[in-house]
Order: sequence, then structure tokens, then C-alpha cells
Amino acid sequence: MDIFTLVMWIGTLVFLAISFAKNKAKTAKALKMALNMGKGMALSIFTIIFAIGLILTLMPPAEIAIFVGKQPAFLATVASALLGTITLVPAFIAFPLVGTLVDAGVGIVPSVAFLTTLTMVGIVTFPLEKKEFGTKFTAIRNGLSFIFAIIIALIMGVFI
Amino acid sequence: MMILRRIKDNLFLFTIILAYGLISIINPSMGLASVKNSGYYIKEMLMIMPVIFVLTALLDLWVPKEKIMQFLGRDAKAKGLLLAFVIGSVSAGPIYAAFPMCTMLHKKGASIRNIVVILSSWAVIKIPMLLNEAKFLGLRFMIVRWLLTVAAIIIFSWLADKIIKDEDLPQGEAQKLGVSINKEACIGCRICVEIYPELFEMKAKKAFVKDYDDREIDSERLKKTMMDCPVKAIEHTE
Repeated sequence: MDIFTLVMWIGTLVFLAISFAKNKAKTAKALKMALNMGKGMALSIFTIIFAIGLILTLMPPAEIAIFVGKQPAFLATVASALLGTITLVPAFIAFPLVGTLVDAGVGIVPSVAFLTTLTMVGIVTFPLEKKEFGTKFTAIRNGLSFIFAIIIALIMGVFI
Repeated sequence: MMILRRIKDNLFLFTIILAYGLISIINPSMGLASVKNSGYYIKEMLMIMPVIFVLTALLDLWVPKEKIMQFLGRDAKAKGLLLAFVIGSVSAGPIYAAFPMCTMLHKKGASIRNIVVILSSWAVIKIPMLLNEAKFLGLRFMIVRWLLTVAAIIIFSWLADKIIKDEDLPQGEAQKLGVSINKEACIGCRICVEIYPELFEMKAKKAFVKDYDDREIDSERLKKTMMDCPVKAIEHTE
């Protein structure tokens, strides 16, 4: 468990203890709410996780790197941005992954486009996000993130 | 009929189950590898999701609506943006871990813009990850990317706020206690507003639950309204 997860746990447990000392009924209600939230999301999250597992097996990142590395620069940027949208990957997995891409000779621009869409845009997680925020919000947030991922990548290319 | 409907409701789930079945027949080792890959994420999720759920529920019950509005609402301006960036970038876990917390904050008055900022920075501006990024991609890379991403989020959250209205977000979720409406299902037929106008109202062609006091609910009438709703979109959790 990394330090930040640990801090969140400790902070929440302290919060819970204070809440319990102040108002038992309210705390019980909070725990019940948390349980309901978990129940509501559990199935979707498990589905998404199994989808991510499947996708990572069918399209290993190393092969993606080879594929992207062969394309001309502009095509590589769009292709890697698109590949990144397939699923949402937590940042701590995304960074080492993009590190291997750069080491394997993939340019900075496609790598950054990949990193940004990988963590911000998710087609696999779309149903879950839609359930929580509605179709319009989800479509706009993902769409804007995709466009800006490419803009960020292009500007990065100028600076680095 | 029932089974068909269940499949339709969980189309994604059934697709995944089917895909796993197929791959296990065609290439068992690949099926196994997929399960193994998933196991890693499940462990990670179990470490972070419970704490987020409990934290979200506690914040929901203890932080009054006015405070959320004051700090993350439309009028919070730069102060709200800053707070949203801080919340998103110090938190652990993948972006979908932020969903329940963001819906709660929005319900309590946080603006669309600040919600987009929290989600985006939760995804990609991780303070816990900065060292990791510098290690794998270099210090200069990290600093330039960080600055550009913050600038991009400030711009596109503003754009998103212009396009998306508060009513576009589903108002009630299953996890919320009390009366709520599944906005995806609501067809805007007005039946609930006619039967129980003290509790329901129409906004942008969809039914909404008014602010209400638990003790004032007429449970008989609510039950009738729920029964009469043609798409069964009204939910009541006690």
C-alpha cells in the first residue's frame, strides 16, 4: 500500500472515530450509505476490471509500442491517443508503461498523447461514468479530454 | 422476457463473460493470463474503494450543503478551482474511484467545472505519482507535462461548464438514501407530478425530487406514485 492510500485510510478512520463519538446514529447511517454505494458500483467495477485484464492480455503494451513506433509521427500520435482511449488505467501503471514506450524509441508526442488519454479517457468505463453522471456529461468530458490530450502532446513536442 | 431484460440491462457484463468463455476455449493460457491481470487490479481496487465510499458518506453527512457550495460552487471562482485541483491530485486510485465522491459533491452544490477539474486531476495530475513520473520519464518531462496539463484542465473545464447544465446530470442515485429518480429511465410523463406535486416537479422535461423532510413523506401516496410510474424510475431507499 503506497503512502497516499495509507494516509487516506488513516484520515478516514480518524474521521469515522470522531463521527462515532459525536453521533452514533449518524455514523451508522454513513456506513450504511457507504455500503449501498459499494453495492451500487461493485458489479460495474468488477466488469470493468475484467475487461481491462482481457484487453491487456489481447493487446500487450510492448506490442503496442512496436506498432506505434513504426508509424509516421502524426499518425503515431493519433493512433496512440486512440489506443489510450480504450480503457482507463491508474496513473501508477501508466507512467512506467509510457516510460517503456519512450525507451523503445516511440517519440515524445505520441507517448504523451497515449499517457493522457490512457488515464483520462475510457471507452470501457463509459457505462459506469454514464450511470453516475449521465450521457451528456460523460461524452463531453471524454471528448474534451481527448482533444486536449492531443494538444498537450503537440505542445510537449515543441518544448522537449 | 425477464432474462432478456436482465441481459439488456447488463449488456457489457454479458459481453465480457462471453469473451472470457470464448478465449478460454480457444486459448486457455490467454484466459488465465487475463484473469491474472484482472486480479492485480481487483487487489488495487479493494485497497482504495472502501475508504472512498466511507469518506464520501461521512463528508455527505457532516459537511453542510452551504459549505460545499461556498468552497466548490459556481461562485467559489479561483478558490474553488484550486481546491478542486488539490482534492483530485492528492487522492489515490484510478479515476473511477472518484465517481461516487464527485456525484455527491455535485448534489451538494459543487459546480460542473469543479467536478471536471477533480476528475481530470484525479486521473492524470497525481502528486503521489510525480516522483514516479520523474523517475521513468525525466524531471523536465514531468514539469512541462504537469504545467501543460494544468493549463489544459483549466481551459476545458471552463468549456465543459459552458456546455453541460446541472440538470444534465442524473439527480438521484441508487446509493442515495431517500427518494430519487433514475433520470436515464424517466420519460417525462408528469404522472408523478400530478399524483404527488408536493414531492415531484418537472425541470427540462424530466421529473425531479424537490427538497423534502423525511418526516413529511406520505408513504402511501409515494408508494402509489412509484407503482404508477410507467418506467418504474422512482426509487425509495430507507
